[in-house]
Amino acid sequence: MVYSWRFVLPSIPVVMLTLAIPLVNRIEPRIFGIPFLAGWIAIWVLLTPLFLYALYRVEKQP
Amino acid sequence: MIALGIVAIILGGTVAFAFASVRRLPQDPAQLVIGGRSLGTIFLWFLLAGEVYTSFTFLGAAGWAYGQGAPAFYILAYGTCGYIFGYFLLPALWRRAKLRGYLTGPDLFADHFQSRTLGLITGIVQSVAVIPYITLQLTALTILFSIAGYGSINVTLAATVAFFLIAIFVFNVGLRGAAWASIVKDIIVLGAILFAGIAIPVQFFGSPAAMFDRLIATHAPMFTFKDWTSTHGLLWYISTVLLTGSSFFMGPHSIAATFSANSENTLRRNAIFLPFYQIVLLLAFFAGFAALLIVPGLTGTSVDQSFVLVVQHNYPPWVVGFIASAGVLCALIPASALLLASGSVVARNVVGTFVAYSPGKFNETLAIRISILVMALLSLVMWWTVKATLVTYLLLTYNAWAQLLPGYICALRFPRVGAWAVGSGMLVGLAIAVYTLWHTLGIAGINPGFVALAANIATVSLVTLVTQKKEPAVQSTTS
Repeated sequence: MVYSWRFVLPSIPVVMLTLAIPLVNRIEPRIFGIPFLAGWIAIWVLLTPLFLYALYRVEKQP
Repeated sequence: MIALGIVAIILGGTVAFAFASVRRLPQDPAQLVIGGRSLGTIFLWFLLAGEVYTSFTFLGAAGWAYGQGAPAFYILAYGTCGYIFGYFLLPALWRRAKLRGYLTGPDLFADHFQSRTLGLITGIVQSVAVIPYITLQLTALTILFSIAGYGSINVTLAATVAFFLIAIFVFNVGLRGAAWASIVKDIIVLGAILFAGIAIPVQFFGSPAAMFDRLIATHAPMFTFKDWTSTHGLLWYISTVLLTGSSFFMGPHSIAATFSANSENTLRRNAIFLPFYQIVLLLAFFAGFAALLIVPGLTGTSVDQSFVLVVQHNYPPWVVGFIASAGVLCALIPASALLLASGSVVARNVVGTFVAYSPGKFNETLAIRISILVMALLSLVMWWTVKATLVTYLLLTYNAWAQLLPGYICALRFPRVGAWAVGSGMLVGLAIAVYTLWHTLGIAGINPGFVALAANIATVSLVTLVTQKKEPAVQSTTS
């Protein structure tokens, strides 16, 4: 169980920042005025610490 | 002269502060190179942020946004992927280094694979590839000095003097000194980037959102990728983020910073919190986009000066001085870490392969200090004689360092892989990386370094399979 989380949690932001980019390659809708593509990348950069922290907690469990 | 004076005061103040903060000058190699493996979470955070965010971040990110648009976003993504990857790699690397007493990356290659030759080769790769990276910082220094001096001073001389100051600084204080200086640097840079990325768009356009309204009206195509396969298309973006993300910590300075942590969890916590600092890059893009509207028409390497020109043309000298100081620290503090780390690699893994140091008068600490000065001198000579654009230099450095990645992973996770497999993979990868400097591979825009790393991994796997069948006993190396 812990092993699958170890794989899934960090993979999500990596996929969102690489393989998902062709799907979000657009300007509208804008995010706080920022074109969608740039906003998408910025949001996933900011979400990454949450995923890594969740992983940290999962690993800490006995 | 006001602007130059401010640069001199901030630079001098930073060095003096760091000197005063280091209570005792380092006397043994571990103290000098990795701060005695004693850095806690916050101190290491400042050091890593101080090293990663160089003048390329400051000038290059804005320049790419100005000149390229969407492809620039790779800079935001690759560091983040680098931290995710580092969350797994760095604690394992630290554990092995602590167990076996490594001070440099090549130490691991020489010891784990039981091959001094492999240690020598990786040592040469790491230290030679550092030189373009340092010359990049020197070029950035001249840009900043010419802005702050309003063209009135000899910028090459100014950059040389500042660079030697920092070499002497790190020669004395070592890694802990560089970490203290990083604290000042990170705070000043944060102030400068908030100004450039928020205050400039607000003042000229009302808000960053209004700035994007105007940009989309006139430059809409630059905010998305054009297609899959062009020079800076989608395949280029994906391969570049994966390559530079996975090899994010391969530079000798990043390895030294990793080894300087006081525990595995210190590294995990840093990997968790460092992505927040990436947002600074978004602001650098804002500054570059603002410059595109305010000073349009820059081409070639002058795009790297884009937003500093905006500051120079529209703000009083003290603002120019403050912004230029942030840039100068961004060039010099990472340069000090690069000099220290590459100096230790040269002394331990290149010269040290042939010379045995004794605890007497000519000891290893002194050898590392001398190597720091030699690396500084070599970088200056290279910089005076070879001129190229900022990004060309950086690509060579990253692609060469990336070829060490399979070796680290095999040493930590695949103990049956031997020296010949890792060595031949590395040489194949390096050959491709160097070849693509002059010849394009032309595979659908895919990053040539990515191709080189893939060929490297394939070679390592192939050689391991072939040699295993013949004599499996040889492969059981010690770890």
